[in-house]
Amino acid sequence: MHDNSLWLGRMRGPVKTTMMVFIGLTLALYVWLITQQFISDDAYGMFEMIRPAGRPLVLAMLIIFSLALFFASLFLSDTKGAIETPPEGIFDLVSVVLGRLSMIMTTFIVLVMFYEVVSRYVFSKPTLWANELSLWIAAFVFLLSGLYAMQQRSHIRIYIIYDMMPRWAQKLSDCISVLLIVAFAVALVWGGYTDAENRFMRMETFGTAWDPPIPGIVKPGLLIIIVLVAIQAVSNLIADWNKDPVVHSSSDDIDEIEIENIRRTLEEQK
Amino acid sequence: MVDIGTLSLIVLLGMFALLAIGMPLGFASAFLAVVTLSLKFPPDLLWGDFGRGPMSVLGQAVYRQMTNYVLISVPLFIFMAALLERSGIARDMYSSLNIWLSRVRGGIAVVTSIMAVIMAAMSGIIGGEVVLLGLIALPQMLRLGYNQNLAIGTICASGSLGTMIPPSIVLIFYGLVTETSIKALFTASFLPGFMLASFFLIYIVVRTQMRPDMAPLPPEVPGEPKGGDKGLMFLGFMSRFTAWVAGVLFVRAVFFTVTGDNAVREGQDPIPLGMVSDIPWIVGTFVLCLILIFFVCGRDRTAKGWEMGKGLIAPTVVIGVVLGSIYGGITGITEAAGMGVIAVFVIGMLRREMTFDIVWDSLIRTLRSTGTIIWVTIGAAALAAAYTLVGGPTYVANLIVGADLPTMGIILVMMFVFLIMGMFMDWVGIVLLIMPVFLPIVVRLPAEEIGFLASVDARYIPIWFGVVFCMNMQVSFLSPPFGPAAFYLKSVAPAHISLTDIFKGFLPFIALQLVALSVLLIWPPIVTLFL
Repeated sequence: MHDNSLWLGRMRGPVKTTMMVFIGLTLALYVWLITQQFISDDAYGMFEMIRPAGRPLVLAMLIIFSLALFFASLFLSDTKGAIETPPEGIFDLVSVVLGRLSMIMTTFIVLVMFYEVVSRYVFSKPTLWANELSLWIAAFVFLLSGLYAMQQRSHIRIYIIYDMMPRWAQKLSDCISVLLIVAFAVALVWGGYTDAENRFMRMETFGTAWDPPIPGIVKPGLLIIIVLVAIQAVSNLIADWNKDPVVHSSSDDIDEIEIENIRRTLEEQK
Repeated sequence: MVDIGTLSLIVLLGMFALLAIGMPLGFASAFLAVVTLSLKFPPDLLWGDFGRGPMSVLGQAVYRQMTNYVLISVPLFIFMAALLERSGIARDMYSSLNIWLSRVRGGIAVVTSIMAVIMAAMSGIIGGEVVLLGLIALPQMLRLGYNQNLAIGTICASGSLGTMIPPSIVLIFYGLVTETSIKALFTASFLPGFMLASFFLIYIVVRTQMRPDMAPLPPEVPGEPKGGDKGLMFLGFMSRFTAWVAGVLFVRAVFFTVTGDNAVREGQDPIPLGMVSDIPWIVGTFVLCLILIFFVCGRDRTAKGWEMGKGLIAPTVVIGVVLGSIYGGITGITEAAGMGVIAVFVIGMLRREMTFDIVWDSLIRTLRSTGTIIWVTIGAAALAAAYTLVGGPTYVANLIVGADLPTMGIILVMMFVFLIMGMFMDWVGIVLLIMPVFLPIVVRLPAEEIGFLASVDARYIPIWFGVVFCMNMQVSFLSPPFGPAAFYLKSVAPAHISLTDIFKGFLPFIALQLVALSVLLIWPPIVTLFL
């Protein structure tokens, strides 16, 4: 499997093993925690899961789960999806790994919602945490998706005039765009830093029954990710500097590979 | 600092300039938000103190969007659509529909339209839909010698219905921006959506009846059932399917009765089709279906009809899960989208089509599309917050309302703006950037003067305007020079069909869309019939 490795190379195998180990540990611990629900009176529920202080088991679960996610993202970022722009530098790699993380998170949102709907509708036992958990995850999926889209150069742009420009003018336009993106990031951090810092220090919570620290985490996360997006924009500018101009068309968002895939699906079992 | 009129002009011109140099839409709006604030507040207030100052409204506006629960439905609907297009559900649905309608003049065009409506009710996104229809139906129609313009127009116009019939991603964004109930928007768009679809169907049928050479019939297959026999088979299929549905509903109602969830309580909405009083109706339907199966259609015909119609079941289940969750009062829009993902995934598993690769590939596509759409939202939220802070929308609204123009004149000018912008810009940019300015104006117009034949309650004006906007966007998917539907179809059409040919095929359908739009304008109560 070394031949289709993007960047891990010889490390691909070890990373995969580590990922498997941590996923296995997470599952084992998860099963243990679930069993506790049935046999123990003071089992840890979702309320305790986000308050690890003084609960070593919860802390262990959180750490192992984060590591499992981290290694899974690393491993998955090593394979290029058919439609993806391959990563070229260190910042591209960061973006792709974080992109992989948010893809995994998207499935978690679906699962959390499914759990909530089933437990509310079938068992009439609505959870306290499902809505807020999906909100929490989704905020990061939204933010990271922009970083990923930046690395993939798939943000919505209007190319009518851009494509008519000579190459030097395109480069000039790109420079202006990137400069302005950086200016926005600076302005956002300038205006929001104190607020984000305060909320992070207080670990400000959402003010609900489950009470996750959504403002305390998302507000600083927002600033950090905007800065990452700006860095990614600069990195794109450098990477694309000497590339030939690409002619864009409105059909960019539907690609040959997707059509080929659909076509194959249609022809199967005919 | 700068007065609000000059500021608005600077922002508008800045937007054109930044878009022209190819700056991403979301970031252009975000930067213009910074410009707006810089023009309004003195520099020492803005930049004097690191970490605070008026710039903080930008971060707050973005944070509000990021923690918006309804917004989560967007990636989920995209995910669902991505999974859907890689499953064989669409193909089977096409063959099922085609069997029933193969002897009808213009049958494949009719099938295409009906299939598009069903797919529109499953997901709220266009793109994949046009591609699917283009791959399935276009080769068939061209092989049978259908008129090329008719074939192209049918596929693209019907394929664009995805955002007109609920669930619709355009209406979700409209509801988010304007803080209108999305459920109400969905309900309101039902009738106009089906009206537009029926315009397409009527056009196809009338056109092919007048000029039969535009849609030759396929050669007859020997041994194929026809006429009344086929009708009975269809009845048998429907009865058997209804019987199944009734059976499931019966179990569900009994389950509620056992758990006591459906006890009649004060101040609690009854569970639709789940109350004790509903059980006799469900049983009655079930018995009626059995009678139809055994005494009218016959078991053989029913079995054969079932075989022929099987492809329609999966789509119905998906629609039932998504729309049923919303309208059955089970879940909100967001959970409905999540359940839709699960439904498509489970059906795909049952059909033995889902693989890790398909799911992963769909996730990659989902994240890409989410990034592009959500970050336009981020930029637009920042700009809208900054512009509202400096009093922009009020200024524009005063300007227009104070100008003493006829009410419908203003509305028509807005329609014109939508149509022109729709030619060049994505719907998401229009709804996020233009709506915050336009809707306050519309709300302040005298409600009784909106509409030519009848007017609509002032409460429902935002909903009406959302549906009207959605209809405008229908046109934008087809309008040259950048109508996305044309490019989607071009990528799957045979090489000899040029973009010009495709846009030529659109013309009658654009006319139909404009007719539907004028119906909404002339008689606005059409949107409130079900509210």
